[in-house]
Amino acid sequence: MSVASLNSAAAAAATPVAPSAPRRPGTLRRLLREPVAAFAFAVAVLLVLAAVLAPWLAPTDPYDNNLSSAMAVPGTEGLPLGADSQGRDMVTRMLFGLRVTLVMGLASVLLGGTVGAAIGFIAAFYRRVDGLLMRLMDVLLSFPAILFGLAIAAIFGPGIPAVVLALSVATVPLMARIVRGAALVVMRMDYIEAARATGMGDARLIFRHVAPNCLSPIFVFATLRFGQVILLGSALSFLGLGAQPPVPELGAMAADGRNFLFFAPHIAVLPCVAIFVVVLTFNLLGDALRDALDPRLRI
Amino acid sequence: MLRHVVQRLLLTVPVMLGVLLIGFLLMQVVPTDPAIVRAGPTATPDVVEAIRRDLGLDEPLWVQFGTYLWRLLQGDLGVSIINNVAVTQELGATIGPTLELMFASLFWSIPIGIALGTVAAYFRGSVLDRFVTALSVAGGSVPVFFLGLVLIWFVGFRWQLLPFTGRAGPLWTIEGWQAVALPALTLGGVFIAPVARMTRTAVLEVLGAEHVRTARAKGLTERAVVLRHALRNALIPVVTLIGLQIGFLLGGAVVTETVFSWPGVGRLAVGAILSSDFPMAQGTIIVLSLGFILINLVVDVLYVALDPRMRGA
Repeated sequence: MSVASLNSAAAAAATPVAPSAPRRPGTLRRLLREPVAAFAFAVAVLLVLAAVLAPWLAPTDPYDNNLSSAMAVPGTEGLPLGADSQGRDMVTRMLFGLRVTLVMGLASVLLGGTVGAAIGFIAAFYRRVDGLLMRLMDVLLSFPAILFGLAIAAIFGPGIPAVVLALSVATVPLMARIVRGAALVVMRMDYIEAARATGMGDARLIFRHVAPNCLSPIFVFATLRFGQVILLGSALSFLGLGAQPPVPELGAMAADGRNFLFFAPHIAVLPCVAIFVVVLTFNLLGDALRDALDPRLRI
Repeated sequence: MLRHVVQRLLLTVPVMLGVLLIGFLLMQVVPTDPAIVRAGPTATPDVVEAIRRDLGLDEPLWVQFGTYLWRLLQGDLGVSIINNVAVTQELGATIGPTLELMFASLFWSIPIGIALGTVAAYFRGSVLDRFVTALSVAGGSVPVFFLGLVLIWFVGFRWQLLPFTGRAGPLWTIEGWQAVALPALTLGGVFIAPVARMTRTAVLEVLGAEHVRTARAKGLTERAVVLRHALRNALIPVVTLIGLQIGFLLGGAVVTETVFSWPGVGRLAVGAILSSDFPMAQGTIIVLSLGFILINLVVDVLYVALDPRMRGA
């Protein structure tokens, strides 16, 4: 993947987590009132910033190896987090690993979420295809993401594109169900009836009136799904089905570190901790976003 | 009830055919020609052509699909490219250990998850509840391999308490039990979080129900109210939800097997894909998928059987 595409994709990473996106004012303020939510929001912003600015923040190139410092422990001079098995600076690797992992998760949520949302709107709007579409979604839903990962890696060969495709396919039915449910509620509203009465076309009706009122559940789901997708994607990379070495991806880095676990545990542990922090942050943020956007959903 | 089962069975047929078709097409898009592989590197084009005819590879695709289904029905999933062992033989040897690992993981994690969820729901809003909720959010964010590596490092390497590679025998032997302990702690460890969360929600819902109020009103002890009237009713959704989480469990099992070199289906599938052993990859993926369709069918039927209210739906 080119640096330019990484840049734009990483920049876009900020979009689904920005709670200001749904148009109701005050969402952000309500979100930040809870201390845990405010903390998660701050950490999420920092993580996205670190990923976007990785090329400028990182002290070295992520592929620069220096075998004389291989497996250097954290705290070694000039290597605050140590070095990996090839003597690559762990600070750099972690920053770029975060970047690749976040882009992988974002691409999966965007791709799967868009297709899923389209299917959800179509199912809610055209009741004739509703049954068929939703049965298809049930079928997709009955298979675990790991099976898509295995099958797609078998067909196209292991790599980041295979992981993104697998996680997108696994995201489609979930998003479709959520959007269909939300759209069905919105479509019972009087203003939809009124808009229809003005002779508005279907596409315009969906984009102008139905979709904007379904944004809350979409954003909540996308945020929560982002964390899950990263957990799944890094697991696929850990298995060797995703990012291939020497690409810095947190799951692949953990897999590499596993081989040196007893000599230099930091090589495996640091990427694992990073994955945990990212997933936890977005899980907390998703929960908080749900509470802030739709108090009825609070359990 | 019977109608529901028949309906579900009929729905399953096209899905199974779809899985088989995808599995079949998998072999069509992979870059290796089975005839060339079978013939070996020194074969002349004539020989390759003869083998191709022999294997039926010159027939139209739909005829090949028919032959493939027919062979599948006879339990023939082909032969590994790497070591010439029948795919069914390898699958037969690895399914047992995978089920063993899943069983050992569920054995300890489900009771703990249910207990945590019930306690959290009962003391709703207390410090205890907050602790369990925090634990389940954090637990749901831990990569399986992280937990596995931590256990290997401390329990296996530092304290040398338990073995951490491979399987040593069936579960009822001491060696077998010791070997499965760390993998089962790992896989069960990540399973506690969803079980606790689902139980908490289900128990909260039941605690507010009228029959629980009645039970309290007639002077039953809190113990009887919670255990017999609330938890028992809450268990219906929990049991089915756990059934639906089997997919999540399989995902964790694939990773756990790799971390602990556990000789299961997941490790077999990953190894086959990484070594481009297409027949083996195809066989494992098909069998895992069909297994899933069956599990979903059973869970669905169980759900209706356990909860009479679902029967009309």
